[in-house]
Amino acid sequence: MASTHVTKRAKYKTTIKDPGTPGTLRMTFEKILFVPHNPKSAGKLDVEFRYIKGQKHTKEGSNKPPWLNLTNNQNGSFIFEFENYSDLQECRDFVGKVLAKGGEVSEKPTVSYPDEQLSAAEMELRIKLLQEDSELQKLHKQFVLSGVLTETEFWATRKKLLDREVSKKTKQRLGFKSAMISDIKPSTDGRTNKVTFNLTPEVILQIFAEKPAVHRAFLSYVPNKMSERTFWTKYFRAEYLHSTKNSIAAAAEAAEDEELAVFLKQDDILASEAQKKIRRVDPTLDMEADEGDDYTHLPDHGIFREGNKEMTESQNELYKRSLSQDINRHAAVVLEGRAVDVELEDTKAVAEALAQSKQKSSNKGESDGDISRERLDRLSRMTEIEDLQGPNTLPLAPLCIKVLDALTNSISNTKYHIGKNPQESVLDRLPRKTKEELLHHWTSILELLKHFWASYPITTTYLYAKVNRLKDAMSNIYPQLEEIKGSVPSELRHQVSLLVRPMHQALDAAIQHYEASMQKRSAQSGERPNGYV
Amino acid sequence: MKFQIEDVTVYFPYDYIYPEQYSYMIELKRALDAKGHCLLEMPTGTGKTIALLSLITSYSLSKPQTSIKLIYCTRTVHEMEKTLAELKLLHNYQIKHLGPQARILAIGLSSRKNLCVNPTVLAAENRDSVDAGCRKLTASWVRAMAAENPNVPTCQFFENYERAASAAVLPPGVYTLQDLRVFGKEKGWCPYFLARHMVQFANVVVYSYQYLLDPKVAGIISKEMQKESVVVFDEAHNIDNVCIEALSVSVRRQTLEGATRNLNRISQEIDRFKATDASRLRAEYNRLVEGLALRGNLPITDNWLSNPALPDDILKEAVPGNIRRAEHFLHVLRRLVQYLRGRLDTENVEKESPVSFVASINSHAGIDQKTLKFCYDRLHSLMLTLEITDTDEFLHIQTICDFATLVGTYGRGFSIIIEPFDERMPHIPDPILQLSCHDASLAIKPVFDRFQSVVITSGTLSPIDLYPRLLNFHPVVSRSFTMSLTRDCICPMVLTRGSDQLPVSTKFDMRSDPGVVRNYGKLLLEMVSVVPDGIVCFFVSYSYMDGIINTWNDSGILKEIMQHKLVFIETQDVVETTLALDNYRKACDCGRGAVFFSVARGKVAEGIDFDRHYGRLVIMFGVPFQYTLSKILLARLEYLRDTFQIKEGDFLTFDALRQAAQCVGRVIRSKADYGMMIFADKRYSRHDKRSKLPSWILSHLRDVNLNLSTDMALHIAKEFLRKMAQPYEKIGGSGRKTLLSEEDLEKMGDGGMDEMLY
Repeated sequence: MASTHVTKRAKYKTTIKDPGTPGTLRMTFEKILFVPHNPKSAGKLDVEFRYIKGQKHTKEGSNKPPWLNLTNNQNGSFIFEFENYSDLQECRDFVGKVLAKGGEVSEKPTVSYPDEQLSAAEMELRIKLLQEDSELQKLHKQFVLSGVLTETEFWATRKKLLDREVSKKTKQRLGFKSAMISDIKPSTDGRTNKVTFNLTPEVILQIFAEKPAVHRAFLSYVPNKMSERTFWTKYFRAEYLHSTKNSIAAAAEAAEDEELAVFLKQDDILASEAQKKIRRVDPTLDMEADEGDDYTHLPDHGIFREGNKEMTESQNELYKRSLSQDINRHAAVVLEGRAVDVELEDTKAVAEALAQSKQKSSNKGESDGDISRERLDRLSRMTEIEDLQGPNTLPLAPLCIKVLDALTNSISNTKYHIGKNPQESVLDRLPRKTKEELLHHWTSILELLKHFWASYPITTTYLYAKVNRLKDAMSNIYPQLEEIKGSVPSELRHQVSLLVRPMHQALDAAIQHYEASMQKRSAQSGERPNGYV
Repeated sequence: MKFQIEDVTVYFPYDYIYPEQYSYMIELKRALDAKGHCLLEMPTGTGKTIALLSLITSYSLSKPQTSIKLIYCTRTVHEMEKTLAELKLLHNYQIKHLGPQARILAIGLSSRKNLCVNPTVLAAENRDSVDAGCRKLTASWVRAMAAENPNVPTCQFFENYERAASAAVLPPGVYTLQDLRVFGKEKGWCPYFLARHMVQFANVVVYSYQYLLDPKVAGIISKEMQKESVVVFDEAHNIDNVCIEALSVSVRRQTLEGATRNLNRISQEIDRFKATDASRLRAEYNRLVEGLALRGNLPITDNWLSNPALPDDILKEAVPGNIRRAEHFLHVLRRLVQYLRGRLDTENVEKESPVSFVASINSHAGIDQKTLKFCYDRLHSLMLTLEITDTDEFLHIQTICDFATLVGTYGRGFSIIIEPFDERMPHIPDPILQLSCHDASLAIKPVFDRFQSVVITSGTLSPIDLYPRLLNFHPVVSRSFTMSLTRDCICPMVLTRGSDQLPVSTKFDMRSDPGVVRNYGKLLLEMVSVVPDGIVCFFVSYSYMDGIINTWNDSGILKEIMQHKLVFIETQDVVETTLALDNYRKACDCGRGAVFFSVARGKVAEGIDFDRHYGRLVIMFGVPFQYTLSKILLARLEYLRDTFQIKEGDFLTFDALRQAAQCVGRVIRSKADYGMMIFADKRYSRHDKRSKLPSWILSHLRDVNLNLSTDMALHIAKEFLRKMAQPYEKIGGSGRKTLLSEEDLEKMGDGGMDEMLY
């Protein structure tokens, strides 16, 4: 954790409507300190962090100012208004860290297992996961802190979550929009024939990415040869000519204006890139190789004008660019993702950043060996017939528990009905609190059952102890469910009991199994003293 | 697994086998035993290729005394690579179980363009320039010159290969084109010539149809194959079209202009030789008196595409006297070009039979039929004598000679059609003279005659009795297999109406109706929002696709589609299309999802698979009929009616439906896979159209799905996808097994089989 404290200028507000007291906010791991600029004003604050329960904040882009709202355990709140969002972000992250740490501190002494050596990073990751997912946090609190499950057991079933989190540790970047840029429609003022295009750096970046020739032209022309404005005017003139689909007119204009011609011609950079890329495509779809093999495609051989081969006009081919090409190019760029991660403000900067990132990626270009290996991999993936092969995964019996499935089904069905027909949904008609409780019980029962069934067959003392712990926790749920049933108004009671029934059934099945196996065990242990413990 | 089919132990590289693969192998074995040809239709996605390969290799392993060679023909290079990859899998398995005795040599063969490793030659952009670039470095006279003058460039790879002489062999194994290139680079030997040399020793040769069907190529590549070979044409539903294309030539103004330039250049060369080395021309004259057959002894690098159609006995004949001398031959060609130019200057469409055309050439240009027949070989001989290496510059005159030879050789099955302009663009004069072949059996006849067993197989050969008629052969086995499904993993539907209940169709009078275009757009829009991963759309033609995309773009439907999935489009540019496909697959892999727009009868529809998540739904917009006003098509229909008694309407429907079936059939690869197929045209609901679909599609086409509107189709799609998302038993439910293990096969042994399979 980088810093031990944060200091920011902020306004402290007791309520949202309160204009606020300007001052300095200082946060350490232990406490929050607010000192007003004006020493006479009343807003001084000194709160210990352990009283803080949670935080809320306004989102960037919403029309609200950057507010941070800290709630304490008496349902009071402290609102701070920051000068900008980056300050807010910093404080928010800090509070998050401290809050998580607080939780951690309180849980550490209760369960500590020597077999687990966690790195700080792993710990941090778990904390982050808990923070992001309130449901997970609830479960964690309920079972780990109460000692039903150990920390390791809890996370063991969530390995995937951890792995995935590790691999995508880098922040996900925003991709390009799916819509085509050719969709930017000009606005007219209605009186003259003048049209106005509204270009944002975002759009410009996309134009550059999709049309490398325009990008190159921009770098070499602006601002030495022409102003940025002229550049884009010419660009849109060219786009207009394309849209008229009049290649003769385009050719004529291009002949007069060589800069305009750059925009009208086929993109030569794209063509050369295509030649490079074609060497790495999947061999199972390399149609270009066919071209080199097919002896019926000698000029004038085969059948023409049969209807399926269409003629293209060869004249002015140079200035013809089809919509299909644009669409393909656009989709390819969207797929590649955004290469630049700069603040999009200045077009010049955008252009240069893009050029740099391209340079980098071309330097990185893989060797021939890599390419051929990659191609082979893809080839073999395409040729194998999957279901004819025997099971190629590790011999792992799939977890198939009928009761569990039934439970999942019934809850997800109810959930599904919500989407389908909101008026008739059972869950929605329940009071909010009951609904939440039910859903929470459902997830916690699932969690318990998952662990419970996974512990069979019991082969070690450890598992034995665990099953006992789980059984106790499960029997505790029964009265809670009854309580929920009792708490709802009578007209809804039937619905609730319908919802609760599968949970009961699942729990019953587990407990029955537990008792049966305990009996068996006691019978066995008489005969085989050296058997299982 | 390994199992027994009668006396043959079959090695199959998977733990399970589909029942239909097993019965396919049984039928195939029957045909091999009977030493006859066969015709087998098996649905796509049931592993035809591996069944074929494993039976035939096992068959030849079980009979070590006879050397059965497998010649496997694919339509495309990427299918060739895929086949070889499957063979590699099989070969490894056989080696594991049988040891070194299972070793075979299997190679893929392609053109120089795909095999060359010399970077200077490869820099050329198309096949012909690569061929010419290679000749410039490896022609016998170039190498002779280089022996005296070290400044003459040669190809290092070829020189090394020549130096290694008989030591230059490929060790046993399975070689894809890529493997060949790697091997060649490693050893420093030319992979192209090495592969061509190894063809005669290989147990399995995989190459494209043309190497066997196109007489120009077949003459040099495939002449050394022994009669015992088994020839397989995979994905052969279009084989009749490949055959007629191989024998069709057209002449345009550009061709004639180019030919004239070529003739001028040849004339200069002749003059130059006369001045410097007249003896060469005299020697050629003497050789021609002896007959063309001597040509067989040319060095391998000087060989080129051989005569398109000459039977062997003609090759032994002396070349007609009037074209033996180079200048005389040149005059003949000039007169021919002149005559053709006159014929092109016409204002009306003309149709003529080859016989009357030849008679007319004879009376107007004074060239008789026999002379015409020899043109192609005479030109070849002349160009060799003149030591011309930049053969790619001489394509036009080659076309003319090709034309002359074909028209002089065949009296029937062809027609000559002269059109002053393309009917769809009458304002642009673009005269064309086409020699079009109507009879697919002409090109394939030598193959049926020469080889013991020819296997024609595909996912779509319905109606299966039509192919023997079109190709004029008698199969000993002809069967169509259905598909045993573990679950209903294909869901064909016929959509006849849009969401506004108006009919949709690409029928000529309806296709440009804005209502139809909008309904098609809405259909796709609805589907992209519910179907995961990849969707493929097929249109009836490029121009229709272009039009509809533009309309969708203007009306904003395209933009809405893009909200859900990325859009990729097949264009006429192969490089662009290949990259678009590659990106499409990436988009499906990464979960973004994509739509691919393609054209029926286009390159993508011919050979690209959209299996698994690469295609969960195919929409066929319209019925892909051929352009029925085409003069060539009309002539072919007339020929088919007169010769084979096939009705025009029947043939057109058959042809359209096989294309449609081909398009939609690309979504299934195995029984674990699933996909939907929407035939969006009201005409599909008619029995006469629909019944031409292959039986494995028809059997899943339920009556309630025959007349759907967009909203109903959407509902069915949702239900289907939900059903497919459920876990299922791979082996198949009660009763019928859809996946057989080794024990199952043993149990079936005798008698028990039928009840399990049928």
